[in-house]
Amino acid sequence: MTAVALARRPARVLRLEIKHSPVPWVLPLIAALFFFNTYRTAAGFPAIWTVRASVITDHMLFDFGAFACGLSAWAGSREGRRKTTDLVATTARPAWTRQAAVLAGTMFWLVLAFLAGVAVLYVQTARQATWGGPPLWPVAVGVVGVVTVCAIGFTCGALFPGRFTAPLAAIAVLVLNMVGLRAALGSSSPYALLSPATSVPPVDAGLFYRVPPDVAIAQVMFMGGITVTAVGVLALALTFRRSAGGSGRWLRPVAAALVAAGVAASATAFGLTGTAKQGVAGWDIPALHDAASDQPIAYAPDCAGTSFQVCLHPAFGSYLSDMAVALDPVAAEIAGLPGAPVRAEEVASALRAGGFREALRTGGFQESVITGTPPVFEFNGELVGNFLGPFWGIMDPAGWRAGFQQGLLEAFVARPSQAALGNIAPAQQAVVTALMSAASSQPQLPRQDGPGTQAGPSRPQIAAAAQRFAALSPAARHAWLAAHLPALRAGHITLAQLP
Amino acid sequence: MNIELTDLTRRFGRNQAVAGVSLEAGPGVLGLLGPNGAGKTTLLRMMATVVPPSSGRMRLLSRDPGAHAQRREIRRRLGYLPQNLGYYPAFTVVEFIEYFALLKEMPPSRIPKAVAAAVEGVDLGTKARAKLRTLSGGMLRRVGIAQAIVNDPELLLLDEPTAGLDPEQRVAFRTLMRDLGERSTVVVSTHLVEDVGAACTEVALMDAGQIVFRGTPAELTVRGKDHGIGDAPLERGYSAVLAAARS
Repeated sequence: MTAVALARRPARVLRLEIKHSPVPWVLPLIAALFFFNTYRTAAGFPAIWTVRASVITDHMLFDFGAFACGLSAWAGSREGRRKTTDLVATTARPAWTRQAAVLAGTMFWLVLAFLAGVAVLYVQTARQATWGGPPLWPVAVGVVGVVTVCAIGFTCGALFPGRFTAPLAAIAVLVLNMVGLRAALGSSSPYALLSPATSVPPVDAGLFYRVPPDVAIAQVMFMGGITVTAVGVLALALTFRRSAGGSGRWLRPVAAALVAAGVAASATAFGLTGTAKQGVAGWDIPALHDAASDQPIAYAPDCAGTSFQVCLHPAFGSYLSDMAVALDPVAAEIAGLPGAPVRAEEVASALRAGGFREALRTGGFQESVITGTPPVFEFNGELVGNFLGPFWGIMDPAGWRAGFQQGLLEAFVARPSQAALGNIAPAQQAVVTALMSAASSQPQLPRQDGPGTQAGPSRPQIAAAAQRFAALSPAARHAWLAAHLPALRAGHITLAQLP
Repeated sequence: MNIELTDLTRRFGRNQAVAGVSLEAGPGVLGLLGPNGAGKTTLLRMMATVVPPSSGRMRLLSRDPGAHAQRREIRRRLGYLPQNLGYYPAFTVVEFIEYFALLKEMPPSRIPKAVAAAVEGVDLGTKARAKLRTLSGGMLRRVGIAQAIVNDPELLLLDEPTAGLDPEQRVAFRTLMRDLGERSTVVVSTHLVEDVGAACTEVALMDAGQIVFRGTPAELTVRGKDHGIGDAPLERGYSAVLAAARS
């Protein structure tokens, strides 16, 4: 028999398995779940590749997981359910190749559907994104995740071929997802990173620094190890069945080696993840980390404005003119004052206080700051993300404009640590409100009552002081601010001292 | 000899389903008769290499089914119809038979012709593209026979092959068995003595896990002369042998 003929046999068996797989019958249901859970969630995110891609592992894998496990268990239990065990046992083809064809037929549809879903997400993002390209690591993690639940489900179905195996396997995966592998592993622990379910990354993730693939590699290794183990367990079980026959003596050591290799891969990934630490743009795993990838990504910012220039990362370029229009009036109100910014520029959120999460934990997180000589108003992606998030446009233009103006003015009149937490003093709040009123914006002050202001003046008192200050002529306000800015920033000015 | 069994036994826990069967058979049709629980199906399953014997020696097609490589060779040349045929409802008749042809490792170039011949052999040509879920019990039985003969087996093991077949199909199937028996060994386990009389060249009667009679249908008929219970001569021979074995 020729090699071509030998190759045609498995291909034909696989074709039959693909044709008769139960997966296509369930695809409409998966598609509906994908639309309502994954697609709509992604559509609510800004058109930033890394952010949009986060739904692949966080939502899409959830949509596919239960179905993939249940359908694979159903396929794996076919011979037992259909009582063809004796019939197929008398055939020459080894049981493991037969089972492999059934598993491959099931996986084919599920992986194809998964990739089709990814394609839908990425095509939509490609039409809206103004910078960057599709990240592939989330796709790899997602595909390996689907393959893993398929392998687990199939093995369960083959080993326990009952009509309840498939629904039970599906429910088990669903519960695992709902409870969360992350929770099971302890969310405060770096081991939780092994779960493909992640939180939404910072809105500028992957824009200023490459997201390191370290965690994705560990996840692929971990899930790949589970897959290999499941396949090994199934093969090992087949070697103990005489009726499976045709497998040869080599199958048992190979199956044992697969189990050992799978466990080793998963254990290695587990161990590596334990060494993970926060890096510039995500979690770094030292053994897997490429330090060269920590270098900033070169980009040419999109800038607008003449007297007051506003520069954004090109990924947010579509918002540039709106942002310039928003910041120009308040920048004009404080122009020429000591420390008044001459330019506004978006910077990486990860740069602040050694990382976003760490900064949040220590309270050192800042959305915006005025820094440098000449002074530049720097705002990060978290602030941008809050306002530039929905891809379908600015839902509340007035509030959107006021938010940016407030960010700039708070950074100007308050100390950085105060501005970061919104704990600005009443007089500072009043000045910000007044300056925004002067710039024809609806002020949102007081933004919040900080710990230091709880026993202080009420909101109406602040509003009254702001009204008083706003009623001054621009020149008078300018002159007062020029004289009292250091005291105002230090929090030494009271509401009563405002003119 | 295509079948060489020596003192073959098979236990399931405390039950001894087959108790020291010795049997040799060459080309021809061997009918395996016996009451319920006699051990016919277990003996057939052992010869089909589904279950190994608990003890004894078995050689099939001059090969040892206990050795992996030889067992695989046997399976390539084996056809088997189990008592309860499992099937995949979504497969068509042709696909189901083709699937088993592929599992039996037939050369791919031979498969289309072999499948067509098997389908025609059981007179299912008009239902070739029908899904199995749409077929009647008798038609499914014929599909089972077709998958068993698709590889032109040297050893064909049929467990209750005519159950569910209508009289016309039963007659046709007996003809098919006789044709197959001219070049290969066909073992037919059945309750229907008329099948044995019409198609088998030899008959073995089992009771309590043992073969209590081995001979031609004519010899079995003679054993029932002036003895036994039954409407047909063969039935009387059958009951006479059983009665003698149990006395």
